[in-house]
Amino acid sequence: MSIIDLTSMGEPQSELRKELNDRLTKLQDEISDYCFQCARCTSGCEAHKLLELEPHKIVALLKRGLLNELINADVIWTCMTCQKCRERCPQRVAPIEILFALKNIAVANGKQIPGKYTAMLQSILTMGLIQDVQQTTTRTNTTVKRDDLGLPPLSKPVDAAKFQAGIMKIAMEKV
Amino acid sequence: MKKRYALFPGCLMPTEQYAYELSLRETLPLLGVELVDVEGFSCCGEPMKSVNQLLTLYLSARNLAIAQKHHLDIYVPCAMCHLALTECQHILEKNPAMKERINGMLAAEELTYTEKTHLVHTVDLLHDVIGIQTIKEHVKKPLHGLKIAAHYGCHILRPKEIGRPDDSENPQKIETILKALGAEPVNYPQKLDCCGAPLLANLPESALTKTGQKLQAIQEQQIQGLVDVCPWCHKMFDSRQTKAGETVAVKLDVPVVYLTQLLGIAFGIPPEKLGLELNLSPVEKLQQEAKP
Repeated sequence: MSIIDLTSMGEPQSELRKELNDRLTKLQDEISDYCFQCARCTSGCEAHKLLELEPHKIVALLKRGLLNELINADVIWTCMTCQKCRERCPQRVAPIEILFALKNIAVANGKQIPGKYTAMLQSILTMGLIQDVQQTTTRTNTTVKRDDLGLPPLSKPVDAAKFQAGIMKIAMEKV
Repeated sequence: MKKRYALFPGCLMPTEQYAYELSLRETLPLLGVELVDVEGFSCCGEPMKSVNQLLTLYLSARNLAIAQKHHLDIYVPCAMCHLALTECQHILEKNPAMKERINGMLAAEELTYTEKTHLVHTVDLLHDVIGIQTIKEHVKKPLHGLKIAAHYGCHILRPKEIGRPDDSENPQKIETILKALGAEPVNYPQKLDCCGAPLLANLPESALTKTGQKLQAIQEQQIQGLVDVCPWCHKMFDSRQTKAGETVAVKLDVPVVYLTQLLGIAFGIPPEKLGLELNLSPVEKLQQEAKP
């Protein structure tokens, strides 16, 4: 399995793409209907001041059916996943869930994934974790690794082939 | 009473945030907790949520299934992992069709998600399971006179509806633990602000700015130290403090320690056993300022 299957979701992925679209339709029809634009989500949003994310506007745009514009907008990738919007919404709309769905759909539609997500995914596929053991520096400038500190061996998938076979099912599954 | 947990290390703690792992392995057994190392865990899935939520759910379920195979409750020291595993249980318990589908995929590794497992994070393990009284009994060097700010981390506080270790808007458990250690917890307006770490993957500059803004606010309030309970938060506040300072054009000088490290200091455990030399922030100031 190549990383492309999981990220761009090539041909076998049409069913998964359909599922993602169904999920979004549900969010659009059922959940964003309850939003009355009080903007409480935006007032608490961790990404608002710094990166101009406005969750209530995301909900409004989704309600207006501007799906293509949303999945192509860089701003959906500024969410810090703090969950405050979900927690504080008086109407239980959960803009964070809409943002996750939008990002998943962007990826499923082959839009380039920003930053290190692809590298992390590649690492998970290879060894089960987002990164392997790193060398770190102490305050006195000596370098240490896990073994030097007397910590037990790293817990990671024992049989990499079987682990990958499990993940493969996500890329290939007809849902 | 002896408490046994599978230690779910996740990715970040066992591959670079060694101070957290060292200090929790040193302090928790003293408080009657037996940590069991289990082979075969993987990433919790949370870092992949923006890419593919089904993958997140699968990875979480996989890890829960491994612990269930060993009939163990799970201790999850990372806030992100704790959210992923809790959310996964919440979804699978509510949605039998999804549970069946995930189990179909888990069959590749001969694993099955069976039933809800008890999950704890450092904060509720210390406050609710071990208890303040037991912690107090172990304090040999009380941290009198130390004004400490608590940073909980977003992912252990929200969303409330699936059950989190502390209150979503006014968490107090770390403060209660700090008092038990003799320290003086400080309330500060930026307490619930995010550390910035979730943006590391795609907007690292902005992530560091977020970190810098919070640390700057703490520094200006003459708080003597910051305590955290998540390897991601600590990576930002401690490991990257100098760089975070550059983003806000301030020389930052805030000692940052894991709660388990502070616990160890108060218990009289030698600093090298707590990984204190691994903190890049000026933690020696904390040790000097504590009045015995």
